[in-house]
Amino acid sequence: MKSVGIEIKNIALAFGSTAVLKDITLSIEPGEFFALLGPSGSGKSTLLRLIAGFNQHQRGELLIDGKDVTGIQPWLRNVGMVFQNYALWPHMTVAQNVAFGLEARKLPSAEIRSKVASALELVDMGGLANRRPGQLSGGQQQRVAIARTLAIEPQVLLLDEPLSNLDAKLRTQTRQELVQLQRRLGITTIFVTHDQEEALTTCHRIAVMDQGIIQQVGTPMELFDFPVNRFVAQFVGSVNLYPGRFITEGDHLRFESPTLGTLMLPRGLELQSTEMDLAFRPHAVRFVDDPNTQHENNLALKGIIEDSEFLGEFLRYEVRVGEGRIMADIPHVRGALPLKAGSAVHLRVSSEELRFVTA
Amino acid sequence: MKRNHPGLIAIAIAIAAFLFIFLIGPILTVVYTAFTDGQGNFTFSHFLAFAEISLMRESFANSLYVAGTTVFFATIIAIPLAYLTVRFQFRGAVLIQTLGVLPLVMPAFVGAAAMQLIFGRSGAVNLILMDNFGFSIPIMEGLNGIIFVETLHYFPFILLNLSASLATIDSSMEEAGQNLGASGWRLFRKIIFPLAIPGYIAGASLVFIKVFDDLGTPLVLNVTNMLAPQAYLRVTSIGIEDPIGYVICVILVLFSIAAMAGSWWFVKRRDYALVSRGGAQAPKRKLTSWQTAMAYGWIIGVLMLVLSPHLGILLMSFFKVWSFSVLPEQFTLVHYATIFTDAKQMIWNTILYCGLAAFIDIIIGGAIAYIVIRTTIPGRQILDHLVTVALAMPGLVLGIGYLRAFRGIDLPFGMGALTASWVIFVIAYSVRRLPYALRSCMAALTQVHPALEEAAENVGAGRTRIIRKIVIPLMMGGLLAGFVTSFITAAAEISETILLTSRESLAPMSYGIYLYFQSIAGRGPGAALSVVAITIVALGTYISHRLAAAATPHQQVGNRT
Amino acid sequence: MRHLFTRSTLASALLALLIPVGAHAETISVVTSFPKELTTAYKKAYEAKYPGDTVEILNKNTSAGIAYVREQLAGSRPEIFWASAPDAFEVLSGQKLLVNIGPGNPEIPSKVGNYPVNDPKGFYRGQALAGYGMMWNTRYMKANKLPAPKEWSDLIQPIYFSHLAISSPSRSGTTHLTVETILQGEGWTKGWEQVLKIGGNSAAITERSFGVPDGVSNGQFGIGLVIDFFGLAAKNSGMPVDFVYPSVTSIVPANIGLIAGAKSPGAGMRFIEFTLSDEGQKLLLQKDISRLPVLPAIYKQAPADYPNPFSGKIQAKVNFDSTLSESRYMVVRSLFDQMITFRHKELVAATKAIQDAEKRLAGRPSAQLDEARQLAFSPAVDEKQIKDPALLALFKAKKGDAEASRAKAKVEEEWASRAKANYARAITLANSAK
Repeated sequence: MKSVGIEIKNIALAFGSTAVLKDITLSIEPGEFFALLGPSGSGKSTLLRLIAGFNQHQRGELLIDGKDVTGIQPWLRNVGMVFQNYALWPHMTVAQNVAFGLEARKLPSAEIRSKVASALELVDMGGLANRRPGQLSGGQQQRVAIARTLAIEPQVLLLDEPLSNLDAKLRTQTRQELVQLQRRLGITTIFVTHDQEEALTTCHRIAVMDQGIIQQVGTPMELFDFPVNRFVAQFVGSVNLYPGRFITEGDHLRFESPTLGTLMLPRGLELQSTEMDLAFRPHAVRFVDDPNTQHENNLALKGIIEDSEFLGEFLRYEVRVGEGRIMADIPHVRGALPLKAGSAVHLRVSSEELRFVTA
Repeated sequence: MKRNHPGLIAIAIAIAAFLFIFLIGPILTVVYTAFTDGQGNFTFSHFLAFAEISLMRESFANSLYVAGTTVFFATIIAIPLAYLTVRFQFRGAVLIQTLGVLPLVMPAFVGAAAMQLIFGRSGAVNLILMDNFGFSIPIMEGLNGIIFVETLHYFPFILLNLSASLATIDSSMEEAGQNLGASGWRLFRKIIFPLAIPGYIAGASLVFIKVFDDLGTPLVLNVTNMLAPQAYLRVTSIGIEDPIGYVICVILVLFSIAAMAGSWWFVKRRDYALVSRGGAQAPKRKLTSWQTAMAYGWIIGVLMLVLSPHLGILLMSFFKVWSFSVLPEQFTLVHYATIFTDAKQMIWNTILYCGLAAFIDIIIGGAIAYIVIRTTIPGRQILDHLVTVALAMPGLVLGIGYLRAFRGIDLPFGMGALTASWVIFVIAYSVRRLPYALRSCMAALTQVHPALEEAAENVGAGRTRIIRKIVIPLMMGGLLAGFVTSFITAAAEISETILLTSRESLAPMSYGIYLYFQSIAGRGPGAALSVVAITIVALGTYISHRLAAAATPHQQVGNRT
Repeated sequence: MRHLFTRSTLASALLALLIPVGAHAETISVVTSFPKELTTAYKKAYEAKYPGDTVEILNKNTSAGIAYVREQLAGSRPEIFWASAPDAFEVLSGQKLLVNIGPGNPEIPSKVGNYPVNDPKGFYRGQALAGYGMMWNTRYMKANKLPAPKEWSDLIQPIYFSHLAISSPSRSGTTHLTVETILQGEGWTKGWEQVLKIGGNSAAITERSFGVPDGVSNGQFGIGLVIDFFGLAAKNSGMPVDFVYPSVTSIVPANIGLIAGAKSPGAGMRFIEFTLSDEGQKLLLQKDISRLPVLPAIYKQAPADYPNPFSGKIQAKVNFDSTLSESRYMVVRSLFDQMITFRHKELVAATKAIQDAEKRLAGRPSAQLDEARQLAFSPAVDEKQIKDPALLALFKAKKGDAEASRAKAKVEEEWASRAKANYARAITLANSAK
């Protein structure tokens, strides 16, 4: 299968008077496993359906493989879509489901048979060709849905929340299989999800969306380590986020936060504007025993333990600092008991882990 | 919590007895007579005699043909209408809904009389065609006339079922098809229609049964070589002893049951709704202007056909002479004067019989609903099944069964023979309308959360008090809707009525219309009485819809848990 | 509100129960096939005169009426049987279901023409007189350029093809009478030939006798065979129709009788006397009834052109023999149905083929055409067979007799299939006639 690129230029879409997509511009590389990540109502599914042709945009251009497909009906676009509920036709067998697209293309029946067989092999469903969807488990149905779409050898593969209907164990396994499949076939794939963990683990690049606007596009690491705004910071991974004002004092920055109080930030941090949020990940927080150590290149804070949660690999502490709360994920050592509520702790956050994000 | 109050058990037994005496009993009588000779020995000879009479074979074939063809054409009319309402943004949707209700307010046989004047050999349409184009369309001749009238009368059943069925198909089913390259006819044929079939089958089998059993329309159109009119004619002119009439009844019953069972089995086997749920419904598609024009064209065409009997009856009621002309002549109000002086008894009879029958229906229906849903009395499902049997029972068969089973039984207080009194009407109507009332009562009761009753129990109220003060008031909307449905379907019914009416003073309006249609001086008074009947039925339908709709907010109380 | 609802419904239910009980004065049940106009008029006039009595009309066509009376148990039967067909009364009388009431109003003559007005044995009386004739729709005739018919034999002409309508003797006492009149007037074989040809020219065989005048009135059919008052009443009510008595007709009384074992025989007699009184007879002159009274004096009060059977104006050639009619009642009915009513489509097709052939041949003789006519227009039972007592008895057998039922059904089936085969053969022959 040839892999194609998708260009989305200034797309705007409204249903009636409600604007659902507001000026979307995106570029997806051929062969890329791309995620649209966002909460419900962000417009990610709408964008996906737009690429499939079920929604029509009012402004902008949609180019698949360099050709503008605006106005072209869904059945002529050759983009394969796997629906969230799989949409397998219950009155047909697995084989008939998979063969459907090939029959619509009027291929000779021998060719259809072999393509169906290989599609089912691809997803490991070869032996169940004569079952009906009603007799399959959720995971099996999903494989059939994928096979059905791949059978027509589409230019693009669209996956609408493929893992959300599976149970946790299956989700992980399926996730890995999807990644392997995509690597093998090299087909440009767009994956819609609201689960940041899914997006981070599978995709080459992610577009984070909220309220019809793309908040940030980047690789998983870029989004996690360098979020550009409050939304992305909060959506991708857990974060400690504090709005406030930054004041330059010599070569230090002073941070005035209504909750945390006045903090002296370590030397050498750059600032874009004075009204930004201070952000750092919980796992970036360290406890120190000696309050006098590690002030250089660290943000130093003092707080009281409020609560703790045991998460297996680490303990998540809720620490009260000033009027605010800080989440600290401290790696768990076998046998170590959590610190008691009410104990005083000293926290350090490396300056490399501090981020300034726009609101 | 379900407790089996002894009072409820007694009621359940009483209802079962009622149904056995007045529903199962007459049917068994009919079946017995068909299978026994004069001395009471089992015999197939009547069935063999039936099969040997070529007229009977012909009637059988004709009834099947008419019923099947009606379903076919009704489907053709309904499919575009259903698809338009469900899948497209279409402002004419309101028109389609009207189309779905209009035919049902007028009994089929009344419509038939009017259609004859408009589409008959020398009817308005053919006169125009003959004068201007030199040909005529024999659409009202023989079996075609019946198919024509019944199609226009019954397509709403299919429209309703098909629309509901289409609406439950998850849009992702269609979109998946489109995504893979199918559109238009292929999409419809391979995806949409197969998925919509269960709902469709339910509506289609109902129409099949109703047309198969219909007595009034063939009689009015003078077609006698079909099963129902043959049974009627034989029983009335040869006598209640004529075994062939009973053979026909058995055939009608068997087919009705088969159609119902078949559709139930079919729907059960392919409960497609289970397999794929969830996912947002895609917004309805837009129509191109060409498609919009065609859609309106189709709707207006069907609308004109549907309106023609209504228009015809209205005209007939206001004019003296309609003979070999496109429009009637001599405007007059004398027909209305005639029926309001002479037919008062009939109007009162209809109100009495149908009112009492509907009342009985909601009492029994409500009781059965409560017993089936809220108690664990063993065998309570039997009540539900018994009532379903009533749905499959042709009115003709029940009428003949009553005449046969209750012959010679006298009512107390010197009211004379049961079969010659007004009581038989009430019983017959209530038995056959019970399925509708039961459905309403079941729906109403399922909306009342058991917690509401349990709360009352918790503070010490007894079962009777709970039922009276909590359950019934909360069910009231559904009960009233059931009452009205029973009433209006009983008011329009003609099959059992023709058989059971022995004397004119007992006749309800439907029989009165049939009688007035046989006036030497024209069908004017019959048409006037029809207009009165249709108005009552239309009013009733409207009220019933409002009651059912008004009932829903009421029930949210229970659903909040 | 709910209490009120329950109570008021209970109250009205009780009230409703009381209604029939309250009417404990005498009720007269009248089994009749007469139309609503007539029954309503008599009911109103009688109840006005005798306020204590109530008249109940049981509307049934003649054979259904007979069946009904037979099925009621003695003591609770209806009081009056009132119908046009005298042979129906013979059937009832033969089964001992009528009371011997003798003659009534002395002003009523004992004969009309050669026919006795009242039953000579005294079991029923003539209440009105009726003739049989043809009724046509003037507009239809004009539009189709058809001449008005004068005799039954006119109706067999090809120009009237598909413009006629008749009912069947099994459903219409009056049609039975008409057919019997033709059979008695023209003889068995020639009569059936005419009847079959008229059947072939008919657009429909209607389910009730009303179907014919109704269809003619609203323009569905051109000409119909009807009892006189249908045509006259329709004409007098303003419908665009006309009526004529052919010469092969008979004036026959419509009778009224007291049923044996009725509930209120005294009241029943009162009703019968009323119908034969001056007042009762005058009702027949009402425009929408238009029947012929049996009381000669009444005709003075009728309009000048009102048909008067006592004046000799109506030519009635046939002396109707009701005994003969009664003896073969069931056979004639069945023959008509098996050969005409139920095989109508085939008969019409055969008629058309023969008429087309006749036009084609333009008078040239043809053996095939003759044979075709013979096949299509001959009765299944010939003149000798109709006199066979065994055949007649078979058709009179009781319903409960399963064996007789089956034998009868077999005979009927034989007629039917033979007729069908004959018509088909006739078509083939006619089409190939040169």
